[in-house]
Amino acid sequence: MRLFRHDLHSLSGAYALDALETEAEHDRFTRHLSRCPSCAGEVRGFREVATAMAFAAATEAPPGMRDQVLAAAARTRQLPPEVAGESRARQKRSRAWMPWVPWLSGAVAVASIAVAVFFGFAQAHTQDELDQIRAQNQAISLLLSSPQVTLLSKSTTEGGVATVVLAAARHQLVVVTNGLPALPAGHVYQLWLIGKTTTTSAGLLPAATDGRTPPVLATGVVKGDTLGLTVEPAPGSAQPTTTPILALPLPV
Amino acid sequence: MSPNDPDASRFTSATADRRGGRDLDDLLVQVARGDTEAFEAVYDRLVGPVYGVIRRVLRDPSQSEEVAQEVLLEVWRTAARFDPAVGGAATWVLTIAHRRAIDRVRSATAAAGREHKTAEVHTPHDEVAEAVEASLDRERVRRCLDALTDVQRESITLAYYGGHSYRQVADLLKVTLGAIKTRIRDGLIRMRDCLGVS
Repeated sequence: MRLFRHDLHSLSGAYALDALETEAEHDRFTRHLSRCPSCAGEVRGFREVATAMAFAAATEAPPGMRDQVLAAAARTRQLPPEVAGESRARQKRSRAWMPWVPWLSGAVAVASIAVAVFFGFAQAHTQDELDQIRAQNQAISLLLSSPQVTLLSKSTTEGGVATVVLAAARHQLVVVTNGLPALPAGHVYQLWLIGKTTTTSAGLLPAATDGRTPPVLATGVVKGDTLGLTVEPAPGSAQPTTTPILALPLPV
Repeated sequence: MSPNDPDASRFTSATADRRGGRDLDDLLVQVARGDTEAFEAVYDRLVGPVYGVIRRVLRDPSQSEEVAQEVLLEVWRTAARFDPAVGGAATWVLTIAHRRAIDRVRSATAAAGREHKTAEVHTPHDEVAEAVEASLDRERVRRCLDALTDVQRESITLAYYGGHSYRQVADLLKVTLGAIKTRIRDGLIRMRDCLGVS
């Protein structure tokens, strides 16, 4: 449906309240804003109205949430500021890296991620679990559909293979594994983002099904990071306590 | 849990907000540099409206808590994306919060629970009225909402607090799509002037 310019303008209110019908409509208006400074100004003002309405709806948050958020922040890597020109260099490097992994293993990796995602649904028991899986899957499928992804895979020193889909521009990656040795009770596999000065947990590998672990999404990947995998005492450690069985430099 | 400074979370007037707002902008810029104390301060200032607006849209307390946690973590993670030249920190954070709540509603539209929401939203103004306590923010927003026409007020509250799309709002209020778009926009213009937003 073609919209007259006047109709498009009149959507500024609905846009500012996140009340447009579809993502496509939202994106189209976002594009329109870049060409229409007066609309952008109007939306800014409306968003301040919305902010006042949010303050008017302020409600005391559940106790315990503060500690949880601060603890989560402490183990979450922040995105670096976007630097102009950086992304082009990054894309070039990604392409150079691509032939490193045979095309077929990439297709297999994506297929195994799709299967594992489906498996997650089958294993969810509660609505909360289902919602969580849905949110994670949404993030994973966004990552898989980004234009520039790099596929990497490497065997661990203990056998088995880790396959990584890296979306450098999104600072995210997804990891699946196949054929890692089963661990004795009370131990877990833990992923790490090993930077030049700090090492951050990137989450635990979920239990394997038929030797494969469901995909794990890691965020906040920055230049110079290496993906590490260690065996840790359950429920995981704040910092690695054993020698990594896998160290995969990430071409970010 | 609540901010030590009773004025901290107030959206009192455009001038006061600009003063407090700049302070909050500075804090968020510090958060982008990994300052955890600044993040705690931002958390304390904004957790009330963040949780409140998500709760309004989603209603379910446990889902609201989950989304609020995701939003606040996103603020920590993506603080480097905040550009004070484009808008204030409170608006940046609360735009993310509302957007994430809406994402959750839209992705779960097929799920149950949406029906009873539709049944409840026929009295959006009463809900606003209920929520109004002694707070100045609430008083001011209520006063400005009261000054709107019924359709303007209901379409804005159904969209923002109810999480409905403008098409759903048009259906609920039995008004044409074109009219709803205009009512929302006109209502927001009047709200903007009434609240003294520059």
